[in-house]
Amino acid sequence: MRVLVVEDDPDLNRQLVEALKDADYAVDTAVDGEEGHFLGDTEPYDAVILDIGLPSMDGISVLEQWRRDGRTMPVLLLTARDRWSDKVAGIDAGADDYVAKPFHMEEILARIRALVRRSAGLASNEIEVGPVRLDTRVGRATENGSPIKLTSHEYRLLAYLMHHKGRVVSRTELVEHLYDQDFDRDSNTIEVFVGRLRKKLKSDIIQTERGLGYRISVSDDL
Amino acid sequence: MMILNRAFRRMRSFCARVWRPRSLAARLFITGVIWSLLALVAAAFVLTSLYRQSVEAGFDERLDNHLTVLIGEVSKGLETERLANTPIALGEAQFDLPLSGWYWVIRETETKAVLLVSDSIFGETLVLPSDWGAEPDLSDPAGYIKAYGIGPDGRTLRILERDVSIDSVGFTVAVSGDFDQLQTEIDGFQASAVLTLAAFGLGLLLATYILVRIGLRPLDDIRAGLMRIRQGETEELDGQFPTEIEPLVRELNELIKSVNEVIERSRTHVGNLAHALKTPLSVITNEIRRIEADGADKIAEQAQLMRNQVQTYLDRARMAARVNTITSITDLAFVLDRLTRAMQRIYEDRGVEVSLEPCSGFKFRGEQQDLEEMLGNILDNACKYCRDEVRISVRYRPDQTRQRAFLHVYVDDNGPGLTEEQRHEAMRRGRRFDETKPGSGLGLNIVNELVELYGGSLTLSQSALGGLQVELVLPSPVID
Repeated sequence: MRVLVVEDDPDLNRQLVEALKDADYAVDTAVDGEEGHFLGDTEPYDAVILDIGLPSMDGISVLEQWRRDGRTMPVLLLTARDRWSDKVAGIDAGADDYVAKPFHMEEILARIRALVRRSAGLASNEIEVGPVRLDTRVGRATENGSPIKLTSHEYRLLAYLMHHKGRVVSRTELVEHLYDQDFDRDSNTIEVFVGRLRKKLKSDIIQTERGLGYRISVSDDL
Repeated sequence: MMILNRAFRRMRSFCARVWRPRSLAARLFITGVIWSLLALVAAAFVLTSLYRQSVEAGFDERLDNHLTVLIGEVSKGLETERLANTPIALGEAQFDLPLSGWYWVIRETETKAVLLVSDSIFGETLVLPSDWGAEPDLSDPAGYIKAYGIGPDGRTLRILERDVSIDSVGFTVAVSGDFDQLQTEIDGFQASAVLTLAAFGLGLLLATYILVRIGLRPLDDIRAGLMRIRQGETEELDGQFPTEIEPLVRELNELIKSVNEVIERSRTHVGNLAHALKTPLSVITNEIRRIEADGADKIAEQAQLMRNQVQTYLDRARMAARVNTITSITDLAFVLDRLTRAMQRIYEDRGVEVSLEPCSGFKFRGEQQDLEEMLGNILDNACKYCRDEVRISVRYRPDQTRQRAFLHVYVDDNGPGLTEEQRHEAMRRGRRFDETKPGSGLGLNIVNELVELYGGSLTLSQSALGGLQVELVLPSPVID
C-alpha cells in the first residue's frame, strides 16, 4: 500500500511518515500544496493524508483539483480547524475522512486502514483467502491459524494482492503501489518477492497470469 | 469686565455646588423656564409702568387744564380785584362735592396764606407738595410740581402745583384729583396683564418642554441605536440625524467599526494562535509516545492539558464572536443536506443509513456555522453510536402570539441509547460513555453553549427507534 503525506510541518510530516512506514506502508511525502498536487496527480496512491493549511496551494484546492481531474484515491484531511462547517466543507470538496489536530497517530492509522479497505470494497479489517488470513489492524498474516513471518516488503506485497483478491494485478501496478518514488523500480525485484512469498505460504494461492501479472485467489487445485 | 467675569464664575461654581441636574433635558428645561419667568416678570413690570405712565400723563393733562383755567381766573381776579369773593367754576362738578378728592387751592406763595379753595375741601387743609419740600421738575420749563399726596379724606391724590407771579405777587396754584380711581384701573390692568402673561408663561413652559424633547430626540435615537448594536441587532447607527449631531454619529460609527475590527483581529489572532499550537502539540503528543524515559508521562500529561486549554479558549473565542451576529437567517434544509451527505461519507463503512425528512423552507435564525456545529455534533454522535439507522425530522412551532417561532429538530438513532442517569450526566458535561469509540466527548458542551446562546433547548430522550432521541429547539423567523 502506498500512501502520500502532504504536510508542511517537517516534524509532523516525519512522524506521519515514520508511523506509516512502521505500519508497512510505502510512503511518499510533500511539504507544499503544489508538490503534493503533482504527486497525487501522477502517482497511483492507495490513500492520501492531506493537510489543509499548506503553502503555495491549500489542501482544499489540491483536493478539488484532483477530484476534477478524476483522481479517486481516498483522501484523509488533516486540519487544525475542527468546526463542523470546516469538516463539511472538506468532505464536500471530496475528502473521504477528516482528522482534527492534535491527534494520536493510532487514529490516523486506523482511518487510513479503513479508507484503504473501503476503496477496495472490503467490509472488514481481516481479509481471508483460503487458509490465509490477513489482519490489517496489526499487520499480521496467518495461515491455518499459525503466523507467517514476513518482511516488510513481503507483507506489503501480500496485503496489496489480498486487498485486490481475485483480480489480476500487473507488475507495474505492484511496483507503483509497493514502493515509494525513491525506490529503484526494477520489476524483477517483484518476481523475487513473489517467489519468496510463495515459499513462505504453504497453500498455493498466488497465481501467475503470464504476460499480465499476478492474482491471489483460492486456487482451483485446492 | 473682570468683575463681571468673576461674578459669573462665582455663580457657576455656586450652581455647581448647590444644584446641577444630570439630565441635559432638565438643564435646558430649567434654564428655559428661569429665563421665561424672568422675561415675563420684567414684561409685566414694564407693561404696568408704561400703562401707569400713560394714565398718569392723561390725568396730568386734565389737571393741567384746570390749573390753566385757575391761573387765568387768578390773573383776571387780580385785575378786577374780585378774587376774594368771586366763586370760580371750573366746569367740574367734583370740585363742589365735599371731600371728593378733587380740590383746587390758590395760595400766596410768600405767606402760604390760602386765598381761595374749592368747595370740596370742606374746611380742611390740602397739603401741597411744596409743603413737604417737593421741588419742581427741572426738565419742565413751566415749573410744575407733579406729585402724589394724601388728601384730608385719606385718598391718594395726584397734585399739580405751579407758582405764578402776577404783578410781582407770587401765587401758588394747585389742583388735585382723586387718583384712587385710576389706581384701581391700573391695578385692574396689572391683574389682567399678569394673568395674560402667566397664561403665556404656561404656554412657554409647554413649548420649552416640547422643544427640549424634540431637540433631544436624536440623542434618544442614538441611545436606542447603541442599545440595538449592543444586542447585536444592527452593526451601526443608521437613519437621518440633524446636521449638528451627524458628525457625532459618524464618529460613533467609525469608533464602533474600529472597535469591532480590533475585536475581530484579536479573535482571529486567538484563533490563529490556538490553531498554530495544534500542529506542534500533535508533534509533541506523538513524539512522547515513543519515548520511554522518566518524565515522559509528565510531558504527555502537560501536553494534554495544553490541548484542553487550546480547545477551551478556541471555543470561548468562537462563542464570543457569536454574540454580535445573531441577525442572519440560515436555510435548515441546505445545512441538513450537507451534513447528511458528509455523515454518510464518513460512516460509509459502518453502513449507516441517514434518512432526512423533507424540510425545505425551514429557516434558522442564526449563523450557518453555528447550526452546522450543533447539528454536526449531534449527528456525529448518532452515527457513531447507532446500529445502522439515523433519522432526522423537523417540526415548526410558532408560539401563540406569533412573535416567536421555534424549529424542533429530532435526531433518532437505533443504537443502545442511554439510561436516564446517563442522559442526565451527558447533559451535565461533555462526557464520553463508550471509550472504544474515537472522538473526544460527546461534543455536547459546545452544542449546549450554542443552544443557550440562541435561547433554544436540548433534550435527550428515549427514541422510538430504540436508541437515543435528541431534540434540538432553535429560534426561527416567524413564517407567515
